[in-house]
Amino acid sequence: MLSKSLIEDVLTAALSTGGDFSEIFVEDRFTNNITLQSGRIETCLSGRDFGVGIRVFKGLQSVYAYTTDFSKEGLINAAKNAAQAITGNTIIQLVPLIHEKAETIHPVQIMPQEVDKFRKAAIMKKTYDTAKNYHSSISQVTVRFMDEEQNVLIANSEGKFAEDKRVRSKLSIQAVAVRDNQMETGFHGPGAHQGFEFFENLNIDHYANEAARIAVTMLDASPCPSGKFPVIIDNEFGGVIFHEACGHGLEATSVAKNNSVFANRIGEKVAPSIVTYIDDGTIQNEWGSINIDDEGEKARKNVLIENGILKGYLIDKFNSRRMGMESTGSGRRQSFRFAPTSRMTNTYIAPGKSTPEEIIANTEQGIYTKYMGGGQVNPATGDYNFAVMEAYEVKNGKLGKPLKGATLIGNGPKTLQLVDMVGNNLGHGAGMCGSLSGSIPVNVGQPMIRVSEITVGGTKGE
Amino acid sequence: MNIQEFQTKLFSAAQTSGFTDVEMYYEKKEVFGCQVYKGEIDQYEIAEDGGVSFRGIINGKMGYAYSEKIDKASIPFLLENAKENTRIMHDEDIEEIFAGSSHYGRGNFFSTSLNEITIPEKVQFIKDVERELLALDSRIVATDYCMIRTESASRNLSNNKGLSLTDQMNYLYVIVEAIVKDGEETKTSAEFKVTKDFHSLNAKEIAIKAADAALSQLGSRNIASKDYPVLLRNDAAASLLAIFSANFSAENTQAGLSSLKDKLGKQIAGQKITIVDDPFLEEGLASRTFDSEGVATKKLTLVESGVLQSLLHNQKTAKKEQTKTTGHAHKDSYKSAVKVGPSNLYLEPSGVTFEELLRVMDEGILITELSGLHSGANTVSGDFSVAANGFYVADGKVQYPINLMTIAGNFYQLLQDVEEIGADLIFPLSPVGSPSVLVKTLSVTVE
Repeated sequence: MLSKSLIEDVLTAALSTGGDFSEIFVEDRFTNNITLQSGRIETCLSGRDFGVGIRVFKGLQSVYAYTTDFSKEGLINAAKNAAQAITGNTIIQLVPLIHEKAETIHPVQIMPQEVDKFRKAAIMKKTYDTAKNYHSSISQVTVRFMDEEQNVLIANSEGKFAEDKRVRSKLSIQAVAVRDNQMETGFHGPGAHQGFEFFENLNIDHYANEAARIAVTMLDASPCPSGKFPVIIDNEFGGVIFHEACGHGLEATSVAKNNSVFANRIGEKVAPSIVTYIDDGTIQNEWGSINIDDEGEKARKNVLIENGILKGYLIDKFNSRRMGMESTGSGRRQSFRFAPTSRMTNTYIAPGKSTPEEIIANTEQGIYTKYMGGGQVNPATGDYNFAVMEAYEVKNGKLGKPLKGATLIGNGPKTLQLVDMVGNNLGHGAGMCGSLSGSIPVNVGQPMIRVSEITVGGTKGE
Repeated sequence: MNIQEFQTKLFSAAQTSGFTDVEMYYEKKEVFGCQVYKGEIDQYEIAEDGGVSFRGIINGKMGYAYSEKIDKASIPFLLENAKENTRIMHDEDIEEIFAGSSHYGRGNFFSTSLNEITIPEKVQFIKDVERELLALDSRIVATDYCMIRTESASRNLSNNKGLSLTDQMNYLYVIVEAIVKDGEETKTSAEFKVTKDFHSLNAKEIAIKAADAALSQLGSRNIASKDYPVLLRNDAAASLLAIFSANFSAENTQAGLSSLKDKLGKQIAGQKITIVDDPFLEEGLASRTFDSEGVATKKLTLVESGVLQSLLHNQKTAKKEQTKTTGHAHKDSYKSAVKVGPSNLYLEPSGVTFEELLRVMDEGILITELSGLHSGANTVSGDFSVAANGFYVADGKVQYPINLMTIAGNFYQLLQDVEEIGADLIFPLSPVGSPSVLVKTLSVTVE
């Protein structure tokens, strides 16, 4: 994407005022976004994102500059702008760059740019028709199609010179069901680190019907009661609760400054022994998977909590300095507009021994959440909140009526201690995660789990 | 290649490729940001950013494409993709390239003096904020972030019908989040300031506000979970209104995604509620003299004394309802298609002070922060159930902070249940603003 000599010039210019590390990130990304609503293609947008990010460290100071001006003058200028934030004389020399093509652990068969858009539209139409025809109360279906090819080049003053191609595909379905004045929605959004073959192999009927079924089911749902209950959280996207309650608190972004509730607790028991929590960027073709991270480090499987004991954090290059610990291949960013920081890839609770049937049968009274919406956490306090998309009451070991309007709130580390059953049905769900370095694709995952007590906020009093 | 040259070549190549009408939209911005941590620069960002989007009509259909790479190779890329994209589009609801409004208002969104503030001045200021903050109280252990940021941006829209429009804006903001600890209890609170007048900022004042907001939350207690009268403080009320502002879009009513469909001229809110959209606010983050189709913008009343007066329209949605565009064609950036969106939208303030609102409520809950709105609010049904921070109020006075809560209700019901509106209009780092709002009742659950 840029010549080796130009990269060397930029890295050297960035070090000219005494920086002890410099890095360049070049991104060339092709994207298609298509929206189908009311049975018609509403928008079809294609684009090319292109830009360069330059980073300089000096000790615990980090400077970031980015530009869409890719001329030699533009890049050298950006490097000098970054260097200006540091004062001093050159202290290190560039290590000669050695080119490496990232090893592809997520093979792509059909490149999105090579597929006729009619074939993409056909996938969307089929999805729309399936969801729309699910039930007469379905009044609207919005289908969003996204594919992208992101080419990156990452080089740094330590001699790293890596290139990678990331291809991602995602289909989102939102269904609306209407009865009288009541409107309810259902959503599903599968995605993968894969080419067009993802859509061809996707069980569209399943996802479209599920989105529609949730909306229709919610028409008959009762207001969720408020209070503290045992909560059963089903697999796949249910894992978003530990993504928020625990994953963000294990990112070096908050651990390095001791702002996280998990800081300085390696080796301590932070969860019951049935809980093992893993971040694994190497799972083949998963939505959150990477070949290399955005600092050029190879993707890894990082065990964060093993049988309840805190084993490690997610660490990027800069925070590894403050922490005195190695990077874990977790430096990620939305685009060249963001300096990378520690982020999750595919994070999940490892499967346990209980069957889903056992978990439900063992719960006398509580709430079962089949699908979660999104959530949020404050890493400094550990306080989290989640929206529940589809929930049911549990009575005497059996599922009861559907419930709507439930929100789960609590404190991450405390909730983690209250996990008392872990199922054997591990599944993953695709989502977008927003944090300091922007919005990035991640998977959340878990088998069905039970937490002995969570505060449920609903619209019906206790 | 400079942008003028790029446009000339793009338009001429477009004509050769069979496009009848064409438009180029170009954005460019300069960004500076600096975050400090314990007296040192921790993050530092400096950038030049921008890109173009192309819209063009070919075979009677509108095609779109964008690029951040402004070079010769991008011209065929834009044209080929735009052309190919029209092939799968349906040919109803034709979008048009706009020839221009008769009059455009004058925008005053750019401060020359703000652009003259040097980087060292900004860095020093944000270091001062952190130093003042950490010195205030031993319970303030750190900042989660303490940063200053400036953006200076321009947007330009030109087309083959002779339109060439440019808006320029800049702003500076400071945001600081204090972390306070007392025994086992940790609380955080963020304070921000947006301005075009750097010299109006006072580091100590910002530090004191951030410290007070965080420290006042220590010592939180439990109260019974039930329905309470709720006073939504201005910033919390604005965050809720922001989520539901999309419901005023005619695009959403036409798609059956907003229940404001067929409500024009009807009472949708309490009589005290007036909601306006003003694209000419000098300090507004979404101020603009022309919308994303090049239509002149103007101030619009959406709700007056509770009655729905207008929805937000672009040319396409207006055509469907045989009405006129309100100048609310909106693109998030050159990367987006033309949709519908507000500029600076806000609930009009009254003359009632915050203290008076507390007195009127007498007993209830003061909500100072809502979180999880992106997932806990259903814009289609209007239902929301979100996490909240706040205080117990009795005898018209703030008594003590409450443990983490959720509040739940329905946006449309809430509009009907507004009992009083404050004077303290604020735009909390957002183009959607509100004063504090007293609501008859909401369901409150306490952890």
